[in-house]
Amino acid sequence: MAEHPSDLRTPLGRVRFLGAARTGTTDAWFVHVTSIALIPLTVGFVWLILDLLRKDYNGVRAELARPIPAILLLAFVLAGIVHMELGMRSIIVDYINGQSRAWALAANTLFAALLALACVYATLRIAFT
Amino acid sequence: MASSDALPGPRRPRPLSPHLSVYRLTMTMAMSIVHRITGAALYVGVLLLAWFLIAASADAATFAVFSGFIQSFIGRLMLFGFTWALFHHLIGGIRHIVWDSGYGLDAPLRDQMAWATLIGGFALTIVVWGVGYAVR
Repeated sequence: MAEHPSDLRTPLGRVRFLGAARTGTTDAWFVHVTSIALIPLTVGFVWLILDLLRKDYNGVRAELARPIPAILLLAFVLAGIVHMELGMRSIIVDYINGQSRAWALAANTLFAALLALACVYATLRIAFT
Repeated sequence: MASSDALPGPRRPRPLSPHLSVYRLTMTMAMSIVHRITGAALYVGVLLLAWFLIAASADAATFAVFSGFIQSFIGRLMLFGFTWALFHHLIGGIRHIVWDSGYGLDAPLRDQMAWATLIGGFALTIVVWGVGYAVR
């Protein structure tokens, strides 16, 4: 390494602890699980939105209050937000280092949690009021 | 910082991904980049869905504000972009699942799959928007 001309460590010693963080397997697994869930859910979601296009406010409320659309929407929102939180996490660890990485990861999780809460609350409120 | 250099582990800066410019651009690489960009766009685009759900859960006047925005030129443009990003990312995701399972990695097929992602994403977007304008 150019910045350590007097480094006496072995090549192995220099690269140890610089590799994978060893905690990515669970994240990668859940990215895949949610992605598989999102294939049919996205088709259903697009179908639902196309159906809602020709409805007014009361029609939209009535449609979203039915069980299947409400459950579909909840599943899409939850799987989607977990998926996007994990996706953004991998973008952050690829491009941001050090202290800013910790802030970015925290902001990502908080944003996703708030968004999920808001969407679930709104969907349940439509369904139950 | 000689003292911290002597320590292994987290005190030394960890390596970042190699930069894009060191590689020759290929179709699979281009679609990998677009997959990430569409993913990041959908991350922001979900705010539209949240706005829609919150407005619909509130009252007719609040919903009218959302409805007016989404039917405006800017709103339609954003929804069109969201639709394309959604379909492109969906097909790209299926392609990645196929690759992760160990199939479709040979030279002609992997490029064809990358092209199919690009063409399929646009095609599905146009079909769904056509259906959208037809039904409403």
